[in-house]
Amino acid sequence: MHSLQFSVPLLPTSRFKRHSVRCASDRQQLFNRIAPVYDNLNDLLSLGQHRIWKRMAVSWSGAKTGDSLLDLCCGSGDLTFLMSEKAGADGKVIGLDFSKEQLSIASSRQYLLSKACYNNIEWVEGDALDLPFSNGYFDAITMGYGLRNVVDKRRAMQEMFRVLKPDSRVSILDFNKSMQPFTALFQEWMIDNVVVPTATVYGLAKEYQYLKTSIDEFLTGKELEKLALDAGFSYARHYEIGGGLMGNLVAAR
Amino acid sequence: MVRLSKWLLKEAGTGVNKTLSDILVCPLSKQALRVCEEPPSLISDSIGVSFPIKDGIPCLVPTDGKILDTDDTMKHDNAADDSANNK
Repeated sequence: MHSLQFSVPLLPTSRFKRHSVRCASDRQQLFNRIAPVYDNLNDLLSLGQHRIWKRMAVSWSGAKTGDSLLDLCCGSGDLTFLMSEKAGADGKVIGLDFSKEQLSIASSRQYLLSKACYNNIEWVEGDALDLPFSNGYFDAITMGYGLRNVVDKRRAMQEMFRVLKPDSRVSILDFNKSMQPFTALFQEWMIDNVVVPTATVYGLAKEYQYLKTSIDEFLTGKELEKLALDAGFSYARHYEIGGGLMGNLVAAR
Repeated sequence: MVRLSKWLLKEAGTGVNKTLSDILVCPLSKQALRVCEEPPSLISDSIGVSFPIKDGIPCLVPTDGKILDTDDTMKHDNAADDSANNK
């Protein structure tokens, strides 16, 4: 048997002295490495607020009872479990991620958490750029802290558009690349002086330094709205939350 | 108890449940997949690629796929013909 190899060419690092550019497989390995402490660090670094932002993201998605739902870049499953509660026993939720380690944790959490409705969740290892679903299948899609990490954001938006039913929504939560100088400075200060030192205690300094680079390379709210409209969405609006540190893009097909 | 049984069956790596195999398509061709019991995998006949199922989780990242040798596809065709003739 021959392995199917689709390698993304690595850009020469000399062209990018300030930013380290990572290919998809580097990012996959990064998320595999941080998997064991991911949930704890999220709680610690956001003082538990990430739970509120995630509930907001799910509300914005319009997910309801009986729906077929998709949580992209599901990681350890926070958003997937919230979507599962919305869908109920008659609904279905797919949690998709390209990190085996994160999915393994998600699957264990599904077993350990006692809610019967979580039986409506299925985990799939997959690529946000090549979704293994047919056209127009899902009633709503969520994506939490994932879009910033995909190597081709345009393609990810196009795939989300393709698998959504007409008149359905995608809700994409992530860090906000703020145009306000004070907010941007505060965000950078938080990462340098709180996030990275905390991650260092867990031996993950380099992995969390990637956060600053990835926000730097991310799109602003207005750029995200344009990205969604270019992908074919008829409506796109980016909401700033968490004091402007976070943002949620809502787009409707 | 029911929940535990369901989880154990999935974790035994016997493959995915039918609902999931109906939902999933090949990530590259977007065509239907065929379930293979041993080894547990999903076959994309449209492009001749097999995707593994590990611990009940289908691995459908394109680079997870393995191109099937002609022998593998011929063995399946012969088995399918035999079972059709025996009916």
